[in-house]
Amino acid sequence: MTAATPARSRPSTFAQWWVLTVRFIIPTLRNGELALTIASSVVFTAGLYIPLSHVMGTATKGVSSSYAQYIMPLIALQAVTFAAMSTAFRAATDSLQGLNRRFRSMPMAPLTPVAARISAAVYRCSVALAVALICGHVIGFRFYRGAEYITGFCVLVIVVGAVMSFGADLVGTGSRNPEAMTPLFILPPLIFGLLSVGVQPVRQFPHWIQPIVRNQPISQFVDAMRVLGGDTTPAAGAVTWSVMMPTLAWLSGLAVVLVPVSAIVLSKRQ
Amino acid sequence: MSNSDKAVVVDRIRKTFGEVVALDDISFDIGRGEVIGLLGPNGAGKTTIVDILSTLSRPDRGRATVAGYDVVSEPAGVRRSIMLTGQHTAIDDMLTGYENLVMFGRLFGLSKSAARARASELIGEFDLVDAGNRRVGTYSGGMRRRIDIACGLVVQPQVAFLDEPTTGLDPRSRQGIWDLVARFKSAGIATLLTTQYLEEADELSDRIIVIDHGSVIAEGTADELKARTGGSFCEIVPRHLKDLPAIAAALGSLLPEKNRAALTSESERIALPAPRGANTLVETVWRLAAANIEVADVGLRRPSLDDVFLALTEDSSASRAPVTEVMQ
Repeated sequence: MTAATPARSRPSTFAQWWVLTVRFIIPTLRNGELALTIASSVVFTAGLYIPLSHVMGTATKGVSSSYAQYIMPLIALQAVTFAAMSTAFRAATDSLQGLNRRFRSMPMAPLTPVAARISAAVYRCSVALAVALICGHVIGFRFYRGAEYITGFCVLVIVVGAVMSFGADLVGTGSRNPEAMTPLFILPPLIFGLLSVGVQPVRQFPHWIQPIVRNQPISQFVDAMRVLGGDTTPAAGAVTWSVMMPTLAWLSGLAVVLVPVSAIVLSKRQ
Repeated sequence: MSNSDKAVVVDRIRKTFGEVVALDDISFDIGRGEVIGLLGPNGAGKTTIVDILSTLSRPDRGRATVAGYDVVSEPAGVRRSIMLTGQHTAIDDMLTGYENLVMFGRLFGLSKSAARARASELIGEFDLVDAGNRRVGTYSGGMRRRIDIACGLVVQPQVAFLDEPTTGLDPRSRQGIWDLVARFKSAGIATLLTTQYLEEADELSDRIIVIDHGSVIAEGTADELKARTGGSFCEIVPRHLKDLPAIAAALGSLLPEKNRAALTSESERIALPAPRGANTLVETVWRLAAANIEVADVGLRRPSLDDVFLALTEDSSASRAPVTEVMQ
């Protein structure tokens, strides 16, 4: 309100997106969120590998060179899911604190805050994946194909994380209740994770549930990641369209559903 | 005044939520640099007006312009011209006060260095130097409000919407916010201040608009509204209640027949109109002294905005205190 008060101009969407993304990233360094992301990747590795390797090692013999090789895609997915789901918590907090309402009264595109929260989720997912891969290396997981396949593996996991964080963001924004988001972190990853081919081959499941296990998205993602990672045994399979298509279809399908849902959630009077 | 002198024009806005009519053909305007107090009980429609004017919600019918931009067809222009603080502060608890200011500066299009310079300036102006580098989550209610308002001022708005800015604040913090709003005026920012507190509207506003059930029920300066309710009056509280008839007798022609008739054995005080202000008071005191009657209190009173508000919003005025009966 002094004479030097700057006049209003047309702010750039890119600058706004960047400012809001940094807003989420800076506090992760001092509020323990980054430490939690790192710790969760370690815990997922230990929690899945240590209790299951002995029993499941036998069940996966012939499919995979080691249980570490077999379980790695699921560890990576669980770590990234956890990092992505905390977007719901941030989105619900933003709604509750009235920040979303305030942003809507500002010269800003409605999707910019959402995009920023997803970008921050991608940052957490990248940290989670990096730590998971280091842990995987320790238990014996190795990439057996070239650099482009390693890149494909990582990009696929991060895209899965981004799509999940988009969904989590909309749930959080709509709910305005950060506490209610806790079951979202635990239940779906637990159910979809354990009922997938990430833990054991589909033939180990009871007959009646095999179609669900085989076709649910986590199993499809695991299959795709497994071939991208490669293995020493021929049973690992090759990177073909028939393996990759379901994954790409699930991801693009989810994105196609989430975009119109976001229009509804974001235009809702808060 | 032509429309170009108006920062806000609201023309027969109607808004319903299902069966509930939140705003019923409401119209008013705000001049440039003018502070308007929008007064009304809970659920009167105050926040609905703010939501429509800040493009958060669309009217069912009617037209409104803010800084010359239509709220429905030109929301981007409106958003570039306003600041909004809601009933609850909307700042990032995880960031410090300074970081919040820099963030909002950048969001409004300032360069990094300009945003930092402006943030430091506002931290000083808003008396938050000691707290600037603490997380906002640790702030008191009054400090949160100050930083919340400061975030809206990183770049100068033409119109400010302050939705119940002092709700829940202690008196000292409230005074701090009042001082801020006074500065809005000197900065030429048209301000719509919604409040439930009449003293607040009285203290800060150039004009007051009283709404109830989605309609404007009165509009004018605080003085005009008070005059509508009956102007100044003189009030006498006897030391001994038994002196009441003697006081009435001593006042003679000063006490109109209507007020005399309103006195009952239950009355605790006598009120009479004071059309000549202090002169009426002097005359009253002189007559009481001449009659040698002891009084506990005697004084010149003006109706408070509470009196005005109750008179305007109450269907039946019959239940009012004797003082108000005198004023009507």
